[in-house]
Amino acid sequence: MPLPPASGTGKYYALAAKSIRLIRQGCTNRPFFHISVTQRKRLNSQPVIEQLGSYDPMPNINNEKLVALNLERLKFWLGQGAHVTSPVAELLGLTGFFPIHPKSYMTAWRNRQAELDRLTSEKEAAKSTA
Amino acid sequence: MSLLKVIRINTKHIFTKHNETHTLYISNRKLSIVPSVYDQENPAPKFFSSGIQVLLKRLTRPEFSKVFRKRTNNNTAVLKTPVYKFLTDEELNIEKEKANTNADRLLQMPPVVKLHEQINDVLSKDPALVGYDNSTYMFTDITFGVANEHRIIVQRNPDGTLESCDRDTRKRLNQIYFPMQGRKIREPKVFSEPEKFNGLLEGEKYEYILDRACVQYEPDERKYQEITSITYQHIDLHSKFDLLRSTRHFGPMVFYLTWHQSMDRLMLELVQSGVVREAVLLAALRQAVHNDLSNGEDYNALVSEILPRPIQLTKPEILSEEDIALDTKCTELVDTYINTSSSMKSQQALALQGFREYYQQLVDLSRGLKKAHGNA
Repeated sequence: MPLPPASGTGKYYALAAKSIRLIRQGCTNRPFFHISVTQRKRLNSQPVIEQLGSYDPMPNINNEKLVALNLERLKFWLGQGAHVTSPVAELLGLTGFFPIHPKSYMTAWRNRQAELDRLTSEKEAAKSTA
Repeated sequence: MSLLKVIRINTKHIFTKHNETHTLYISNRKLSIVPSVYDQENPAPKFFSSGIQVLLKRLTRPEFSKVFRKRTNNNTAVLKTPVYKFLTDEELNIEKEKANTNADRLLQMPPVVKLHEQINDVLSKDPALVGYDNSTYMFTDITFGVANEHRIIVQRNPDGTLESCDRDTRKRLNQIYFPMQGRKIREPKVFSEPEKFNGLLEGEKYEYILDRACVQYEPDERKYQEITSITYQHIDLHSKFDLLRSTRHFGPMVFYLTWHQSMDRLMLELVQSGVVREAVLLAALRQAVHNDLSNGEDYNALVSEILPRPIQLTKPEILSEEDIALDTKCTELVDTYINTSSSMKSQQALALQGFREYYQQLVDLSRGLKKAHGNA
């Protein structure tokens, strides 16, 4: 099925709650996300109101993850009172558009902690074998 | 293998080893050209000044058969068949005007500007984000209607710093989200591999190189300026100026040669082909760029006389007295230029002497013809 245009094809009600979320568009084993605004009660498989950007979570050849954001339309929908889901809020925090999301700090801290644990266990293993 | 044969094969090696001179070696390798870029003074104000633009356009010698020649590139799928029409004089003039504007568009010169500076713009540092991810996040603002150079493109590094991307990354991301026809995300091998590039230079595909470089690079990129610099110098070394005439690259090449004070071979070519008026224009260009000629005012005065007249590459059989006066003035001025400021005095003086003799014959002939017709 071809992708809908970025302007969106989904019908919506002006007063209904909107949500800005990641919508998975890739195929099996190859995730790729659209950042879209849609009506909050709708499923991700249903047509969206508007696409606001894209996010490619798989690092490219230069070890970069690419994110595209239409900041103008994003500001518009935020002004309309759209709700932002936490994965999108994390991305926007990394952009510098939002304050950094607490979840980002938590993930970073956990990753650092796991790395520390791994290092200490490796040291101990080295000591015990020596 | 006999000793004689071995010696015959290796004579060259033995010879070069015994007379080892470094310069000879390099000139054999065809790599002696050192690119020079515009990284000191900004050439843009001079290049874009109206006086210099007029001179460069005139020196380009636009010839419509070359400007509007058929090109086999991938932009046009099917070549249009020409249409033949009967036109009245007014309609013909309108068509000519159209052709002129189209030629102007096709001959628009690529800009000559200074090298860009690197972007070092750290927006925030957040050490608490260390460990969040091992890869860099690149954020591109794809808002509609923003020019490529003004687009917001930032990156969040694994160490938590948020900064504006450097030029190369910006170019790559712009090309990913807003592709430009003909530009490749990875550098074409023609430019990245010296053997291929040198092969093109040897094959004299100068226009191809310059066209391709124009599409692939921005004019303020170091790589663009190096490639064009090498190409211009190669053309200058082999005096292949005719290959670039009537193309949009001739102006920037003349500007480059003048800027780096190496336009004397072009001057020689002009004098040898007997186009003294353009030789004066070239000297005037040097005066406008460097202001280092002793009698600069004379050049400017003569340029204002030459420019309103049509381009005269070959002299007509019957010369008017005005033409003769102008050409004599031009010859004298070129002579003073050669004597005072040229770096190839003897050759240019010889060429000018040849032109003088030829021109004197022409003048005698045309005056004689006029007399015979009884018009003088």
